[in-house]
Amino acid sequence: MNIDSDYLWDKTGKPDPEIQQLEEILGTLRYQPRPLEIPAGSEVRRNGDFFRDFGPRLAIAATIAVVLLGLGLWLGLQRLQRSQPQAVVKNANTPGPSVNPATASGRTPNEKQNQVVRLPDSDQKPADKSRRHRVNSALLAANRVRHEARKEAVRNPQLAVNDLQAGKAAKDQLMLALRVASAKLSFAQRKTQSTSPRDPVQNQHKIG
Amino acid sequence: MKSLSQTLLKFAHLRFALLAALVALGAVATAGAQNPRIQTSQLDALAAKASQTVDVNIDERLMQLTARFLSSKDDDEAKVKELVNGLKGIYVKSFEFENEGQYTEADLEGIRSQLRNTAWNRIVNVNSKKEGSVEVYLMKTGDQVSGLAVLATDPKEITVVNIIGPIDLEKLTQLEGQFGIPELEIERAKPKRKN
Repeated sequence: MNIDSDYLWDKTGKPDPEIQQLEEILGTLRYQPRPLEIPAGSEVRRNGDFFRDFGPRLAIAATIAVVLLGLGLWLGLQRLQRSQPQAVVKNANTPGPSVNPATASGRTPNEKQNQVVRLPDSDQKPADKSRRHRVNSALLAANRVRHEARKEAVRNPQLAVNDLQAGKAAKDQLMLALRVASAKLSFAQRKTQSTSPRDPVQNQHKIG
Repeated sequence: MKSLSQTLLKFAHLRFALLAALVALGAVATAGAQNPRIQTSQLDALAAKASQTVDVNIDERLMQLTARFLSSKDDDEAKVKELVNGLKGIYVKSFEFENEGQYTEADLEGIRSQLRNTAWNRIVNVNSKKEGSVEVYLMKTGDQVSGLAVLATDPKEITVVNIIGPIDLEKLTQLEGQFGIPELEIERAKPKRKN
């Protein structure tokens, strides 16, 4: 093979037949500009990163989850703050303890109230400072509300009186109902007891 | 042949559905029949004629409220508290009239028809021309009393008492004359016997 470097370099020299043959053979594989043909139904798969693919969706989902969590915590705290004062006000305003300080379980209202706000292991060793702080804040809130309830009761004693009156009215109704029921039953009992032994004697008289 | 079997199958399904419906209806009817609450609203019309009316409606919630006002330390109140403990309601309706003949038996028919239910058992029936009549009915669930009904009538009075729940009859009867529950002296002076 006679190689003319000019031909190989810029095709200006004498061409070599073998090289021309090679060029013809390989010419079929020459680059030919044409539009890219994508076969229909083919699926393009990328070996992308998971976080890069689903990052935006994950971010949206995480944001929603954080917002929901925060909302839930806020509502829970609101409910907790609302329920504690109610329990205390109930104990402070309920006329039951004032009529009968000894409750059925033998606890005083204050003990009951403490039971409401005390955490199950609050009287154990104070290892968890945050928990102890929570107990104290709850007790403080309860005391504050109780103090306000007392002030309200002093300012407006009619509220407590109304509760007491409602309870007494219900008690009077109950007593009236029991009185009527007892009277009727007692009458029936007396009648049955008085007629039973007498009738045979009377009958004997009549027969005799 | 195939159509016959299909028809038979359809009939079997229909019968099953009908049976299920009947069972459900029976259950509902039984539940209604076992209700110890007596409706007395039909007597309300008599209130206009009555000289004195007593209408007490204490449901379970009010009963619990009232129980809080009954002291456990006081013996009498403790007795009442024990008596009403577990009760689900006390309903009393009583009408007293100035004159006789202000009501008829038809007015009481609504009450009596409810008490004719097989769930109610009449345990006492006292009839007196002068002092009227008292009928005492009990409803039992198993061995426990689940309801009490008293229908007391005399020419000038109608009283219906309905107690829901496990009531102790003996204790209730003994309650008269105690704890501000005076004896009403219903049993009037007996006429002297003729010798």
